[in-house]
Amino acid sequence: MLSPYRVLDLTTERGLLCGQMLGDMGADVIKVEPPGGCSARGIGPFYKDAAHPDRSLYWWAYNRNKRAITLDIERDAGRELLRRLVERADFLIESHNPGYLSQRNLGFADLAGINPALIYVSITPFGQDGPKATYADSDLIIMAAGGPLILAGDADRPPVRLCIPQAYLHASADAAVAALAAHHERVRSGLGQHVDVAAVQSVAMATQSYILAAPLGSPEARRMSGGVKFGPLHIPLVWPASDGYVAMTFLFGSALGVFTAKLMHYLCEKGFCDEATRDKDWIAYGEQLFSGAEPLSEFERVKELVRNFTRSHTKNELLQLAVERGFLITPVTTIEEVVESRQFASRGYFQNVAHPELGESFRYPGPFAKFSATPIEYRRRPPRLGEHNSEIYCGELDLSERAVAELARAGII
Amino acid sequence: MTNELPLKDVKICDFMWVMAGPASTRILADLGATVVRIESPTRVDTARTLQPFLGNQLGPDSSGLFANCNAGKFGISLDLGNPAARAVVHDLVRWADVVTESFSPKAMRAWGFDYESLRKVNPGLIMLSSCLMGQTGPLAKIAGFGNMAAAISGFTNLTGWSDRPPSGVFGAYTDYIAPRFTAMAILAALDHRRRTGQGQYIDQSQAECAIHFLGPAILDYTVNGRVDGRVGNSDAAFAPHGVYPAAGDDDWVAIVCRDDDDWRRLCGAMENEELARDARYASVAGRLEHREAIDSSIADWSRTLNRGAIESRLQSHGVPAHQVQNSADAYADPQFTHRGHFVALDHPSLGKFTVEGPRAKLSRTPAAVRRAAPSLGQDNQHVLERILGYDEARISELVASGALG
Repeated sequence: MLSPYRVLDLTTERGLLCGQMLGDMGADVIKVEPPGGCSARGIGPFYKDAAHPDRSLYWWAYNRNKRAITLDIERDAGRELLRRLVERADFLIESHNPGYLSQRNLGFADLAGINPALIYVSITPFGQDGPKATYADSDLIIMAAGGPLILAGDADRPPVRLCIPQAYLHASADAAVAALAAHHERVRSGLGQHVDVAAVQSVAMATQSYILAAPLGSPEARRMSGGVKFGPLHIPLVWPASDGYVAMTFLFGSALGVFTAKLMHYLCEKGFCDEATRDKDWIAYGEQLFSGAEPLSEFERVKELVRNFTRSHTKNELLQLAVERGFLITPVTTIEEVVESRQFASRGYFQNVAHPELGESFRYPGPFAKFSATPIEYRRRPPRLGEHNSEIYCGELDLSERAVAELARAGII
Repeated sequence: MTNELPLKDVKICDFMWVMAGPASTRILADLGATVVRIESPTRVDTARTLQPFLGNQLGPDSSGLFANCNAGKFGISLDLGNPAARAVVHDLVRWADVVTESFSPKAMRAWGFDYESLRKVNPGLIMLSSCLMGQTGPLAKIAGFGNMAAAISGFTNLTGWSDRPPSGVFGAYTDYIAPRFTAMAILAALDHRRRTGQGQYIDQSQAECAIHFLGPAILDYTVNGRVDGRVGNSDAAFAPHGVYPAAGDDDWVAIVCRDDDDWRRLCGAMENEELARDARYASVAGRLEHREAIDSSIADWSRTLNRGAIESRLQSHGVPAHQVQNSADAYADPQFTHRGHFVALDHPSLGKFTVEGPRAKLSRTPAAVRRAAPSLGQDNQHVLERILGYDEARISELVASGALG
């Protein structure tokens, strides 16, 4: 879909997903790394647990469908090479601290002077400017500042994060959307622009709009061990199964109460509750609990009998019931169960990507959507450090083999 | 004019509902797309029933979630089961560049609004279907919400403490990821159509999008055979790395040392020479090994101090730290204010209604939130008369048919 377009990807470990999303959709993405390699190449886990710049699984996860060159932007000769690449690029993505590239005359204003149609995308923790723009950061810091962290965890312990870093993935994905919107506009105007994405705003998406509680005058949500607490109500979202856990939506109101009613009919049929319990008004039940018309002790009894039901089945049995009867239940799966799932297998989701340099193929998360006319293809495995230096410097910038060798000797590439 | 909204010429006929779908077209509406959202007059959009509520009052338009996901769109009420609705849908599809829907698979087919049928009406149509598990496969029909997709795609199990059941990631986590992939897929497909004239159908599984956010853990299994479990707030490469108590009720501060320099700076900021001199803690390997002892020293220091003061103090030393913010904190946060994250809109019946602003800042053609989310059927007249060009008689006929509810 995006095959006519070239992307220069100068991101650090913060913004790699953005270029990969564009690359998956066909764009020609060139990862531009310092001669020692992108910081992401040092992030584990590693193939067979041995640290090596070409064998970081973090690198592999976010650099498919890119080519890679090295180039030292700390030096004039390196910057000159980058400017030449910019002349024929459509997008540039970067995730350095604010000001880092403009101090090296590679900021948006500098490069727009060379190529006014360039879309220059910056992904940073807190944005390009503002009182916290220079804050030191990490995934956990962004999740704390942006709102999701306070919402997850057990009431008697500190808030807890998802243990695979997420913040810059949210930001990278927002950046990819904005880059394509800017491109859509460029088709009309012929002009590029600067896209400024702040991870702290991107992760606020993961509060499910609870970040609006204060301005709306609504109570804050409190974390509560696999569920949420609204005022006096503790509503679990994770329930025990005989062999693990399931996620179950056991809620009330006009939209969700009907599912709860359906579930309670089944429980009654199978002897887990009596008819009086089955026949409660599950649509109005939340309001009854809030008003006190239904005592909280009764809600505790209801939750216990629902737990008795989930506990007496395996995750898979509960999933089958969900499919057959339309209950709102799914298993809490491990990574292994995700990869080996029949659902993903039936859609051919996980893709074998060959790593000829290792003589092996590995299953990668597959295309994010099925496009009928322009299916996503995994054209390139994640590149090794400097793998395409010669292809790009000689083949596209018309440097001689000797000039490239000299640049390499001087440590520019 | 160079400062027009970037997507001002994009027209979207939007059948999506609840969260993941509407959140994606909200992004496109901010960027200038005209989005006509079709809402059932009988089956209430679940998002309208979900917290947080304006003034903490349940009401048809008071859900902050619904308002946040649907600002900037036009709303028309249409009973898709009513025969008179069919022509309206076809006219909207003819008008649109893109049709989006997020029902369970087969619902659109049952109404005769599947891609094969609609492309006969509009041959260049781009249509995107988004649901939990995708349009095919043994679990395609599973009904549900993003919290369930978060569980079945591995997120829930990776959030919490190793000695306890999963705490689970908050809410419908995959619903926060998928919308960006949806919006991007639409924009890429539009570019392809502009160049080739070819429309297409896009089958999006929210779970399959979200799994990209677990990439390294997936590869650790497929490459190394290792199955990651939940580890609280620990990190494999950084120590200390945690959430520490501050003075106050349920007040916390996140602190991270990315390297040995951060550690020395943290000890300096804490004025703890004993820790700074302890040779066991000088390297990250040592700090990872003695994680618990270090965490307890930091907690002893932090628990008597104000969390905002800890943040400022550590940041002034260059150490990554931030108070753990709830909504009130974020609303008062100078950086969120600087970014214009909270946007107060005028709602026609409810007055001031605050939503989140656009995420990305475009320097020349900035996105904008143009109007509050529509009430059910609020824009029937506008859509039928102005967008579809129906005359009074035609509109009265539709009203009489009951198709508008």
